[in-house]
Amino acid sequence: MAIELLQQARQEFEAALAAAGSDAGRIEEVRVRFAGRRSGLLRDLEERLKTLPREEKPAYGKALNEFKRLVEERLGAAAEAATRAAAAVRLDVTLPGRRPPVGALHPVTLVRREIEEIFLRMGYSVADGPEVEDDWHNFEALNMPPDHPARDAQDTFYLPGGWLLRTHTSPVQIRTMESQKPPIRVIIPGRVYRRDSDLRHSPMFHQVEGLVVDENVTFGHLKATLEAFVHVLFDPSLEVRFRPSFFPFTEPSAEVDITCVLCLGRGCAMCSGSGWIEILGAGMVDPRVFRACGLDPARYTGFAFGCGLDRVAVLKYRLPDLRLLFSGDERFLRQLGTGVTA
Amino acid sequence: MKISLAWLRDHLEGDTTADELARRLTAVGMNVELREEAGADETWDVDITSNRPDAMNHRGLAREAAAAGCGRLRALDVRLQEGATAAGELARIEVLDPQGCPRYCARVIRGVRVAPSPAWLAERLAACGVRPINNVVDATNYVLLDVGHPLHAFDLRFLAGSLVRVRTASAGERLTTLDGVERQLLPSDVVIADAEKAVALAGIMGGADSEIRSDTTDVLLESAYFDPASVRRTARRLGLATEASHRFERGADRAMARQAVDLAAELIVRLAGGEVAAGVLDSAPGLPPARRIVLDRAKLCAFAGCEIPPSFVFSVLAALGCDPRDAGDEMTCTVPSWRVDLELAEDLYEEVLRHWGYDRVPSTLPQVVVRPGARLGSWPVTDQARDALVHTGLAEAVTYAFITAELDAATAGSPLVDRGEPVLLSNPLSARMAVMRRSILGGLAEAAAGNLRRGADSVLLGEVGRVFFGAGGRPREEERLAVVMGGRRGGWDRRAETDFLDLKGTLEAILEALGIEDASWRPADLPVLAAGTGAAIFAGEACVGVAGRLAEPVAALVDCPQPLWVAEIDLGRAARRGVPAVRPLPRFPAVVADLTVRHARSVTYAELVAAVRAAGPEWLEAVQPVVQFEGAGVAAGEVKTTLRLVYRLAERSLTQDEVNAAHFALMEELARRLPVSFQ
Repeated sequence: MAIELLQQARQEFEAALAAAGSDAGRIEEVRVRFAGRRSGLLRDLEERLKTLPREEKPAYGKALNEFKRLVEERLGAAAEAATRAAAAVRLDVTLPGRRPPVGALHPVTLVRREIEEIFLRMGYSVADGPEVEDDWHNFEALNMPPDHPARDAQDTFYLPGGWLLRTHTSPVQIRTMESQKPPIRVIIPGRVYRRDSDLRHSPMFHQVEGLVVDENVTFGHLKATLEAFVHVLFDPSLEVRFRPSFFPFTEPSAEVDITCVLCLGRGCAMCSGSGWIEILGAGMVDPRVFRACGLDPARYTGFAFGCGLDRVAVLKYRLPDLRLLFSGDERFLRQLGTGVTA
Repeated sequence: MKISLAWLRDHLEGDTTADELARRLTAVGMNVELREEAGADETWDVDITSNRPDAMNHRGLAREAAAAGCGRLRALDVRLQEGATAAGELARIEVLDPQGCPRYCARVIRGVRVAPSPAWLAERLAACGVRPINNVVDATNYVLLDVGHPLHAFDLRFLAGSLVRVRTASAGERLTTLDGVERQLLPSDVVIADAEKAVALAGIMGGADSEIRSDTTDVLLESAYFDPASVRRTARRLGLATEASHRFERGADRAMARQAVDLAAELIVRLAGGEVAAGVLDSAPGLPPARRIVLDRAKLCAFAGCEIPPSFVFSVLAALGCDPRDAGDEMTCTVPSWRVDLELAEDLYEEVLRHWGYDRVPSTLPQVVVRPGARLGSWPVTDQARDALVHTGLAEAVTYAFITAELDAATAGSPLVDRGEPVLLSNPLSARMAVMRRSILGGLAEAAAGNLRRGADSVLLGEVGRVFFGAGGRPREEERLAVVMGGRRGGWDRRAETDFLDLKGTLEAILEALGIEDASWRPADLPVLAAGTGAAIFAGEACVGVAGRLAEPVAALVDCPQPLWVAEIDLGRAARRGVPAVRPLPRFPAVVADLTVRHARSVTYAELVAAVRAAGPEWLEAVQPVVQFEGAGVAAGEVKTTLRLVYRLAERSLTQDEVNAAHFALMEELARRLPVSFQ
């Protein structure tokens, strides 16, 4: 049957076109073979129409027209695709991109903000105060009268006129208690200065302190607050240890250790083999401090705590050297980006 | 402080192990930091806080150990045999300054033979870091380390008039101390003198003239109590820190002065022979009444936040020598003479709590009515400034607030800096950190230079911090933001040298973030910036910042190999940005027309745009720069600026005819306003 011839031709055409792929030369060969003016297969099939009996002609003619349309379409599409493929140049997608400059916060800023967020969530405010202080706020009101040996521990930079660079952020505790009635819940981050410079000390560094004053504040509250803080800042699995210590402005005083974040308590160079790292100083506000600020120690109790932001940055980001923080070295400063908030 | 474990055990009854002793001492706040084997003994390094001078000796530590449950404290055993001659016949003491020296005890020992100490004594001293000298001096040092009281032995031969006179130094008086240094004394210093001259610095160091020598036979042994503040002032001024001054300035035990002199006299006779004269010369045998503190047990428990049994409170305070007397819920304690730190009930709470164990107090989060916290003071603005820095791609740096005097002077030529005198540190660490900065630029440029010297291709740094000005009274602090840019910018295949427009674009974004939206940039010749590159940034009529290329002399001072583009902003003018209201988007299309203008270089872009706006209709929505060109085809001293003009009406679409008419009218008007020509 003639119709079957058409079907066979169609199969041949599709196979040939598929085999030609996007090769323009082979597509042209397919065109000549099927649609060529002189000897194309289509021409043969048209010739055959004339030889068919009258009753077969309509069906054959219709099928032939469909086949012709198909051949034209397919050949056109294939030729176009071949042209496109020939024109396209392959991108080297492995080349480095052009990056927009991405800023980076200083590690101390990252640590400070993380700590601020923890305490803001617990209803603390973030207070601020001058870096140039007077003797009253930096020492005397904090139960360190002139000629007190505790002043030795805080080698002080003095300025003309009896002013000094604050040796801790504690003077802002005094300023807060002088200007505000309890309940007080503040933290005080800031820059502080001590006349000391070596591998582990920078003459300028950063602290954050906290102060809570209210009726019925207990030592147990202090413990729970600092445990919650350390667990959010580092890891909930860390152990927290409170050791008796001495600060002139708290009574009793404690030093707070956590499981060494580097060796997880097994002992390493960072914790001098002890498995513990000292992270905070804390205590119950000394009644003498309340009195200096005009608060009644019979009515109010409170706790205070403080830690070095630079030290937290060293621990948290495993800094090899504290002095990197003040080096302005961009290779270092850009490593942490804008931080990851817990 | 270094101690010997065997020596500690001399004061303790009981067989607590070394490990347990170290653990318990650490738990009650006497932190045993280091333990070292020393033959059959162990040497410990114990960190004792400055409020506990009473524990800075073996007996004091043993008392803490006993209170912490490690055995019992042995009684002090003194077996002193006195000779027939009364001490008063051999020497006299006179205290002319009872405020500086509330108590002075002395004994006289005659006929000693000075020699090296026996091995056991020399070893114990050496273990504690004290150099053995001779048996008499070593005996005084031994007693110091044993019971904590500093003593001094004089060669009686060299005390003129056999007199000890405690007085303040006279003006111009000098004394050569044991270390061979001649000290200039002040009338505020307390000295030990003989009939003629000063022979020792009270409570700090003896004099060279009266020290024990190999041929000394007669000794006057001093055991006194000196005023802490007075000892501290003199020791600090002379830069002298001795075992004696360390203890006296923290507070010695006034009662122990009397016992220590007996202990030392007994030891000297045992080591060096001789005879102790009868009686003690004692300027003030009586003691001031002991302080009493009433401890309310209910308050203690409320303070701690847990129950502590009365029997525990009692036994700890008793072991610490506080002689507690029970009276119902209250306990009356008598502060022992060695505990200078106990004054208030809270001081006793600490004693009880540290022995009870901080770790045994249950942690309880406080139950409070929480009000939302807020960032106060300058934090909102400075943190907004830090965010603005990083949003423009800068890395935040922190540099020291103190700089060299040269750098301060070199960066002073700026309207942000000449707002006050520099504040000089009275006791700087070094000349590198001598002056409080008045500008952040110097320190930040130094950091940037360091990056470029290390081979960085580009540098992009910012800093937010305070600057300081002398202002007569309290130095004034102001908040600043600074930016330093240098090297090359752009993608790796499109690198271009950083220039002024890079700096300005960064600053524009920062100023906008800081809520300074009306900033205007005016050319300014400032010494801190290179000639012809400087700009002063104004908000209204106030100068809020400077920007430009860092001047050569400053760049040379910070050793910068490449040009640096710098800016500094006064954050005092910045405001925390409010919530901006969203402007509705335009409903009708804009018609855009470019305009190329040829004009003299002296006509600034700002002047050109201002004239275009003035010449245009109200519905000239925006004027944007497209390109600026000078060189081939443009006359010298002239530039060609192409502007893109955006026309738009809010209420309907514009027709091309309307825009054309307006555009040509604008060109005509512009040519009338400025000497310009068009393509």
